[in-house]
Amino acid sequence: MPRSASRVIPPRPLRLAGGAAIAVAIALLIGTTFWSILSAATGQPTAGSSTDIGYLIYITTLQAALSTVFSLIVGVALAWALNRLRFPGRTLVIGLFASAIVTPGIIVAFGLLAVWGRSGWLGGLGVPVFGLGGVVAAHIILDAAFAARILLARLDAIPEARLKTGQSLALSPWTRFANIDWPAIRGTLPGLAAIIFLLAFTSFPIVLLLGGGPAVQTLEVAIYAAARLDFDLVMAVKLALIQIALCSAIILASSALAPISTSLDRPAEPRWRDAGAAHVLQWLVLALALFGFAAPLLAVLADGFRGLGDVLTDRGFWGAALTSVLVGAASALLALVLGLLIAAARAATTSRVARVAIGAPAYAYLAVPAVALALGAFLFVRNLGVTPDAAAPLIVVIANALLSLPFVMAALAPLFEAIAQSRGRLIRSLGLGGVRQFTAIEWPLLARDVGLVLALSFCFSLGDLGVIALFDTQDFVTLPLLMVRALGAYRTNDAATIAALMLLLTIGAFITLPALFERLSRART
Amino acid sequence: MLALDAVTFGYGSKPTYDFTMEAVAGEVTAIRGASGSGKSTLLDLIAGFLEPASGTIRIDGNTVNHLPPEQRPVSILFQSETLFEHLTAARNVALGLPHPDPARVAAALAELNLGDLGNQRAATLSGGQKQRVALARTLLRDKPVLLLDEPFSALDDETRAATRTLVQSLTRKQKWATVLVTHHADDIGAIADRVYRLESGRLETL
Repeated sequence: MPRSASRVIPPRPLRLAGGAAIAVAIALLIGTTFWSILSAATGQPTAGSSTDIGYLIYITTLQAALSTVFSLIVGVALAWALNRLRFPGRTLVIGLFASAIVTPGIIVAFGLLAVWGRSGWLGGLGVPVFGLGGVVAAHIILDAAFAARILLARLDAIPEARLKTGQSLALSPWTRFANIDWPAIRGTLPGLAAIIFLLAFTSFPIVLLLGGGPAVQTLEVAIYAAARLDFDLVMAVKLALIQIALCSAIILASSALAPISTSLDRPAEPRWRDAGAAHVLQWLVLALALFGFAAPLLAVLADGFRGLGDVLTDRGFWGAALTSVLVGAASALLALVLGLLIAAARAATTSRVARVAIGAPAYAYLAVPAVALALGAFLFVRNLGVTPDAAAPLIVVIANALLSLPFVMAALAPLFEAIAQSRGRLIRSLGLGGVRQFTAIEWPLLARDVGLVLALSFCFSLGDLGVIALFDTQDFVTLPLLMVRALGAYRTNDAATIAALMLLLTIGAFITLPALFERLSRART
Repeated sequence: MLALDAVTFGYGSKPTYDFTMEAVAGEVTAIRGASGSGKSTLLDLIAGFLEPASGTIRIDGNTVNHLPPEQRPVSILFQSETLFEHLTAARNVALGLPHPDPARVAAALAELNLGDLGNQRAATLSGGQKQRVALARTLLRDKPVLLLDEPFSALDDETRAATRTLVQSLTRKQKWATVLVTHHADDIGAIADRVYRLESGRLETL
């Protein structure tokens, strides 16, 4: 007897075909990169650079582990404080911490130097800013703020009834944390830890600026150094393969962990506030976190505007700014189109195999970090006889789009899935076609997230140094590369100004794009 | 005319349901049954959201088993999740038409006393208003078979009576084969021309 079957998901063969074509194209691209690296690694002697691979893996892992542990501790404390405290400007403060995800690492590193460096605001205190401490501190600034924003959403989503029960039992602040807060956030911590570990493990600009030399560097920086400074391509390839293997292992391990879930629930008001020592501690945590996160950024802005005149009259700056904006916009648009096509295709099928086959290439780039991908692309175009100068713009755009794709998917895919699952029957019963489904139903719901992913992709691309640094061509220069060159030439004031303008551009994009697209979506309903 | 002949369906390999029934054009056929008895499963089979393991479903003499939901000559009102909450009432109704026709949309809303709510977002409507907006869209689609899953459950007594009368008169006028799923005896008494009871996975004529 044939089995009964369900037909809830609207069939969309064109979406499936589009998503499959994109997935195959990405897989081919990554495969080609990998193949280029592998073939370059075989049968060639090294140029004799003295890289201690064992130590490199140890120090990369150590700094990533320390960054993860301290980021989570600070993140939990900050989320706890923000959940309890109510004050004017709280939304702004939360928005500031949310922007950590897009703040380029190079700006944070520069900001740390501007505050704690020898000639910085607090340089007299003698806090060591170079080496392991500086690298971990910069990672904590970025990743703890990111962790706090995610954990705060979990705390805000605690059901009001549970809080009322706790309040009626007069739980102390510590008992409350152990019995109500901790159960709400502990499931999110392993997934969050995996993301932070991976971010720190593949960190490039922060380590480049604050590592202080071979004693503290990541595999990513070592690949760059081997390829560009030592001209030892075989060593670079060897390191890239180790990097890919280790990142793949981390991703495989973290895929076994529960994913970070989001909540659409609104926080209940008024909240149950803690009193006494806990209340004082919450203010202290918030003040320290604000100082730690905002002071480097303020220092970048303050230092940056001192040399504004010189930089703004430099034609090189305007060329780099235009290149950065164009590369950012092109990468963001490409990431959005790829993400939309893959997410829509995944939601159009119930076949588990098809869903994995279509979706996996979008995440595969996590295992092939920026510098490794750039190295593979560099070798590939060189084998084809194309000059790196000619290939650099296209490769940088594609690499940055792929870098953003996992975040684009994380934002868009759940919405496509939810619409197909919960409204699939309604869509089919009304006989809506794929175009009408997108314009009338999906687009108005997606629009705000589209603005957010465009902003994220634009900002990631704007702050990218890993891909562009490896090509390091004369004619194709972005703002981060211009900034590093200014630092290398001891033009610190110019570097500060470029950092400040990049920061403003990043914050501007992060605020305006989501708001603009939300307005557009309202106009459609 | 809608006819189900030994239509079986199950969530495992063994069929749980075995449906045989008829719904005549211009009549309201009511299906009674306790919660969880399979009333919504029956409507999903007729609408094409579930594929039967065996048996035939015919509409106006044509077997429709192979047709996907969007190609069946059926309009359906679901019990829940009936509207797109981010759209206005008018746009929700307009989605039922192949081409936008504001005049027809406005008339359909007015017929269910929703004339002044057209520009209001569905998310801001009450449960009863949402149910009437969804009903307006379902009626506007004007298909030979009309499937209604608890369509009056969220309505107050006065609106309920008026809406029942509207469904009955349109069924007669448009010659629809209307299938009404409900566990409210008064709905059945008011408009049903024939009644089936769904029990233990089978339909019995009452």
